[in-house]
Amino acid sequence: MATLPAYKTSASGVKSSLFRSEEMTLIQLYIPTEIAKPTVSELGELGAVEFRDLNSETAAFHRTFVNEIKRLDEMERKLRFLTANIDKHEIPVQPSMDSYLSRRARSPQEIDEMDDVLSQHEYRVVQLNESYESLQRRLLELTEMRFVLRETSAFLQKATQHQDDIRHSIDNPDAPLLDLEQPRSAGPSLDLEGGSQPQNSLAGLNIGFVTGVIPRSRIATFERVLWRLLRGNLYMNHVEIDEPIVDPAMDEPVNKNVFVIFAHGTHILSKIRKISESMGATLYRVDEDNERRQETMIDVMTRLDELQTVLESTDTTRRTELINVAEHLSDWTVTVKKEKALFHSMNMFNYDSNRKCLIAEGWCPTLALPDVQSALRDATEQAGSNITSIMHQLKTSKQPPTFHRTNKFTSGFQSIINAYGIARYREVNPGLFTVISFPFLFAVMFGDFGHGILVSLAAGWLCWRERQIEKGGIDANVRTFFDGRYIMLLMGIFSIYTGFIYNDIFSLTMHIFPSGWKWPEEGRGGTQTLSAEQVGVYPIGIDPHWHGTENMLLFINSYKMKMSIIFGVIQMTFGIVLSFFNHRYFKKAVNIYCEFIPQIIFMMSIFGYLSLLIVYKWLVDWSATDENGEALYNSPPGLLNTLIFMFLSPGSIDPSLQLYPGQGLVQVVLVLVALICIPWMLLLKPFYLKREHQRTQQLGYANMTTTTTRISTDSLNSDHGGGAVVTTESESEEMHQDHDFEFGEVMMHQVIHTIEFCLGCISNTASYLRLWALSLAHAQLSDVLWTMIMKNCISMSDGMRPLAMFAGFSMWFTLTVCILLFMEGLSAFLHTLRLHWVEFDNKFYEATGKLFEPFSFERVLKEEEQ
Amino acid sequence: MSGFLVLLVGAVFAGLCAASYFLVPKSWDQTLWRTCLIMTLVCMYLMWAVTYMAQLHPLIQPRRSDLRAEH
Repeated sequence: MATLPAYKTSASGVKSSLFRSEEMTLIQLYIPTEIAKPTVSELGELGAVEFRDLNSETAAFHRTFVNEIKRLDEMERKLRFLTANIDKHEIPVQPSMDSYLSRRARSPQEIDEMDDVLSQHEYRVVQLNESYESLQRRLLELTEMRFVLRETSAFLQKATQHQDDIRHSIDNPDAPLLDLEQPRSAGPSLDLEGGSQPQNSLAGLNIGFVTGVIPRSRIATFERVLWRLLRGNLYMNHVEIDEPIVDPAMDEPVNKNVFVIFAHGTHILSKIRKISESMGATLYRVDEDNERRQETMIDVMTRLDELQTVLESTDTTRRTELINVAEHLSDWTVTVKKEKALFHSMNMFNYDSNRKCLIAEGWCPTLALPDVQSALRDATEQAGSNITSIMHQLKTSKQPPTFHRTNKFTSGFQSIINAYGIARYREVNPGLFTVISFPFLFAVMFGDFGHGILVSLAAGWLCWRERQIEKGGIDANVRTFFDGRYIMLLMGIFSIYTGFIYNDIFSLTMHIFPSGWKWPEEGRGGTQTLSAEQVGVYPIGIDPHWHGTENMLLFINSYKMKMSIIFGVIQMTFGIVLSFFNHRYFKKAVNIYCEFIPQIIFMMSIFGYLSLLIVYKWLVDWSATDENGEALYNSPPGLLNTLIFMFLSPGSIDPSLQLYPGQGLVQVVLVLVALICIPWMLLLKPFYLKREHQRTQQLGYANMTTTTTRISTDSLNSDHGGGAVVTTESESEEMHQDHDFEFGEVMMHQVIHTIEFCLGCISNTASYLRLWALSLAHAQLSDVLWTMIMKNCISMSDGMRPLAMFAGFSMWFTLTVCILLFMEGLSAFLHTLRLHWVEFDNKFYEATGKLFEPFSFERVLKEEEQ
Repeated sequence: MSGFLVLLVGAVFAGLCAASYFLVPKSWDQTLWRTCLIMTLVCMYLMWAVTYMAQLHPLIQPRRSDLRAEH
């Protein structure tokens, strides 16, 4: 995304970090017309300036460099044509060399030359294509003719022999015109008559025939149509051509049939011809005379031979031509695309005809200003000009675009955040924290030592081989995974850790440390249910002795649910704290006092308290007794009920459900504080703003708008002479919004905001329970896979076991990868995404910014590729 | 066994966090490194601490009826 070089530290000591977007400066450039193109090209190579459109009211076709762009469009079309031809002939294209040559801006002469060369190449290729096509059509005709001649001669000979039979059938009004069976069976008996007729011609009978070729797929329809239209007054015969014929129009091999249709009368014959042509058949005239047919055949054969040679040589010439083109093709494409982007950018500039210079305005990261300066200098030097471009910074109240300088590691995480919304300029960027919190929350749901290792290995391979993979080209499906390779790597590593803590490796356990539980010695082996005895605490992770017990889920669920709540409260509180940094940075003290403080108090007094209770309940040994053997504590109360009764009956605590002495009072105070926070959030800010507004109005500042004066030239005004025209651009529009105060609107906004926050606190905390739910589902699925497949295989009899193990393992592994890694991983990913976008981001992230899109050749070329 | 260990390990992790804050060399992605290291440490500590505390004084004991003699 970001193509700028990494800066160590800038001169002014401003550090670039992901925490806030980079500082931007609005710059104005005066570029002399002679060196405009090399200068802008140099800036395009640098890719650090986003030009503002200074002619936004001018239509695209009225701009300065429309003709150049049109011409480049034309060149692009030619290039596309040549590329298509090269692709068709599978000629390898030389990759473009990123040398000095391709970096340099081209002079107009070079572009002219290139255009000429392109036109010549295009003309030649078009010519060659045309002649090749016409030759091929000719070839097709001749080939089909050859087949027609060969196949029909058999029919025709037979037909001439049997013409008398046919005549006989015509004389008999009841007989069909042609009968397939009758002539053959009746043939010998009527042979006498045949001998008496000297003229052995079909024409004598007024029977004509039509010969031709038709695609095999149509033959059945063709036959039926003819039969119906001519009411059976025809005799048709067809033969399949063995080899498929390549049709130059369709460019693919088609199976065809040769057909001969005999019919009576010229009218019917012409009807047949029409039908055949409309059905896509090609008709060929065949002489009925045998000898003449022979002659034609010889003629066709020689012509076919000649044609083959001509075709081959045409093809070779075309190939050489295209190979020539392919050598330069990618260089040309790059050049044309760059030139086009260049002129598009230059169309956004103002033109000062008096001073012969272009005036550009654009946003540039403050850190990159020295680079822009040196780029301008380089361009001037290279062009050998003695007039330099001038850059100066403008003061503006416009909202600058947001630019996060990312690298290959952070870009994936940043794009997760950008997919939700682009940060406001200089707003705290959740992308920085997402780098760790995203993989971690994912891992809480995906926690399994073994699965984590598999994911890490896959992602690690992608990271390790990234250069080779990128060079080799990636198809769209793998692209997603490849772009997120560092996210996946971290997700995998964190999953290894959480899996270790959950003590899950492919749903089995690792027994590393001494267990905190001890099973009693007596009563084993029977059907008796035994309870373990606590002898210690497992130091890291879940005690392996829980594995496979009857009440494991009871314990794990309670543990994971509580953990989800704690993580959720911590992440949300962190989000609220980040909003403080925003308010402080944007100098909105009112937001700190009227939003941040009540929000954090509200959150803490309800859910912070709940988290504390969770930890407190864990830390208390509820079974502890004093020296008299009496219980120190009552039985442990449920936390959910405690929280509910905190609101339903504040102040009164059932002694049997008490967690700690003085609980009633603490809870009353907390509930009161939380309740006070609501009107605090709701009312304070609108009334404060109203008072401020009234005060400014009384002082008479309300209608003051700021106007900034700056020198800018308008090409339309340049007729006045005298160089640059000083225009005042009123930027009051944006300023005006601040002063346009409407109490009702502010109040409404605040009401929505408050309700959203208070209800959000509750629903968002509940939403974090998805951490538990997904984690439970993952562990259970993994357990089911193991017990259903692998465990069954292991417990097989000795003879069967090796085979069963092999089959079982491959099945288990495939299912693990498909279901647990892909499907479960995807669902955990989506839930993590939601937790970040909704639960975390809505606490502080406004996301109302505009992405910084610098004019950069690298971007232009990359976008074209995709 | 008590919650003392949680605090002790917490102190160690806090020390690690401080170390990673100060020891990351100055470079343009210093903030990124600091954030990553500290957040990783915090996440790892939280996960461990929650798991440890949950087993400190368990309210239920593991129960099973399929124990074999040698188990």
